[in-house]
Amino acid sequence: MRAIQTERLRKEYSDEIIAVDGIDLQVEEGEMFAFLGPNGAGKTTTVRMLTTLLRPTSGRATVAGFDLLQDQHAIRRTIGVALQEAGLDPLSTGRELLQLQAQLCGLSTTDSKRRAQEMLELVGLTDASERNVKTYSGGMKRRLDLASALVHEPRILFLDEPTEGLDPASRQSVWQEVQRLNQRGMTVFLTTHYLEEADRLADRVAIIDHGYVVAEGTPAELKASVGSDVVTVHVGYGMVEPAKSLLSTLEGLRETRTNGSSLTLFVEDGTQAVAQVIRLLDGANVELGAVSVAQPSLDEVFLKATGSRLEGAAAATSEDNSDGNH
Amino acid sequence: MATTEMTAALPLPAWNFWGETLRATVLLGKREIRTVLRTPAYLIPNLMVPIFFYFVMVGSLEEFATRSGIENWQAFQVPVGILFAVQSGSAGLNMVADIESGYFDKLLLTPANRLAILIGAMGADFFRIMLQGAIVLAVAVPAGLHFETGLPGMVAMILILSVWGLAFSAIGFAVALKTGNSQATQSIWTLFIPLMFLTTAFAPLEALSGWLKVAATLNPMTYVLKGMRSLSMQGWDTGALSEAILAVVVFGALTMTMAFLSMRGRVK
Repeated sequence: MRAIQTERLRKEYSDEIIAVDGIDLQVEEGEMFAFLGPNGAGKTTTVRMLTTLLRPTSGRATVAGFDLLQDQHAIRRTIGVALQEAGLDPLSTGRELLQLQAQLCGLSTTDSKRRAQEMLELVGLTDASERNVKTYSGGMKRRLDLASALVHEPRILFLDEPTEGLDPASRQSVWQEVQRLNQRGMTVFLTTHYLEEADRLADRVAIIDHGYVVAEGTPAELKASVGSDVVTVHVGYGMVEPAKSLLSTLEGLRETRTNGSSLTLFVEDGTQAVAQVIRLLDGANVELGAVSVAQPSLDEVFLKATGSRLEGAAAATSEDNSDGNH
Repeated sequence: MATTEMTAALPLPAWNFWGETLRATVLLGKREIRTVLRTPAYLIPNLMVPIFFYFVMVGSLEEFATRSGIENWQAFQVPVGILFAVQSGSAGLNMVADIESGYFDKLLLTPANRLAILIGAMGADFFRIMLQGAIVLAVAVPAGLHFETGLPGMVAMILILSVWGLAFSAIGFAVALKTGNSQATQSIWTLFIPLMFLTTAFAPLEALSGWLKVAATLNPMTYVLKGMRSLSMQGWDTGALSEAILAVVVFGALTMTMAFLSMRGRVK
């Protein structure tokens, strides 16, 4: 069974601002699916649509088999959601918040109390459970938010940038927790702009940029689709274009992408190519910086599909979490 | 992928719509009351200022009013004091806080009926409003207020004026849901000024003249005050009370519609 399926799902805020431009997705039940892209690519908007918070402009979707436009109530009973900004009531205690969340999801008062206790233990907040949420640290809030998304035992878990703003240790613990939930059969749909997160966690990845899905597959498939080794060459100022034309004769060259003062060459055999690159550029007196060869990563997949690097894009806009608020 | 067959759903356990809606309303109302009680700094000025206002109005103008022919100035002023109280405090601010913190989205993500979120908050607000109104009477009576229809009349006055207060607070909820902005929500108290001053709060309708009299005749609060003063000054007057209740209902229908439409607009 498909946990999530979308057909030409689209959200436009005005004629100029199209946040999500007709995407088709299939997420199988029990799968860990990552939606990878830079900030502002349309990830949050997609999550807000699939979780019934935002009405699509057009297109169709089912979540857990329920129609997104017809049966939102059933969808809300089936999903758990942790949004990018942990949405918590600062004047409730952790326990009150979890218990209320469970009750609103239809659990009896007794079951709600039991589940709240289980969740507090799961995320390690038992000691802080009687304190107001406003006294919690950022990491504690994130853990409580995750607990509140899980308290009613959802079939599908949506996580929007689950590790954004977390320190490395907290990030590891969120990853472990999410993996454990997925191993127990929960479908997980997570958005991220961290390549490593998508690569490490996901069974399948869809890469989104400017509202389009530009590539989709398992991390291994995606990297294999690059079909080659990746040679990155840094050259002196103003040398990128001359270098590009010099290197166009390179043996086994499939594709060249330029980015700032560096060139990324997709080649059949990286080690062989490096020697040639140095010879060609040195012979033409092109100022040469670092040259490296690597197996392709998801960043190269992104680069090949969109023409820019995700890492750079993510860094440039990491202060701007306005994705979805266009 | 033009016409892919969409996957069929697994059945969910039964959901008692009305039972769950009522339960959610009560649960969310209780949370709202808890929030207010955990921020007493917000409640105390709303309780103190109307009492202060009532005693200043009584103390400064009683002599003057009596000479102008109003015999029981305290009974004339007490509905104004209560109205002041039931309209104090910016309703909807807790909701704006929820919207700003993202908790409102969290509530929308639960299967709870969306109206339960609004009605629960309003229900809790009704208790706050009644408490604020009742405290004016609780202070005014020992201070020498003679109330013509006695305790039953006082209860009727508090109830009717609290419903008015709730209708007024619905404007706050409407603005809160429409804008999600605390400053805009806070600013609705300024509506209180024309409602309170372009009416018979400080003098009977006959004593007003010109444009002020026209404005007062159009202001629903004029009819509310007339009905309430019949309770405090004259005795049970079905005609005046009906007019007051009608004014409350019409005003309330208008503001509640605004609030519900804003709710619908926000969840789309």
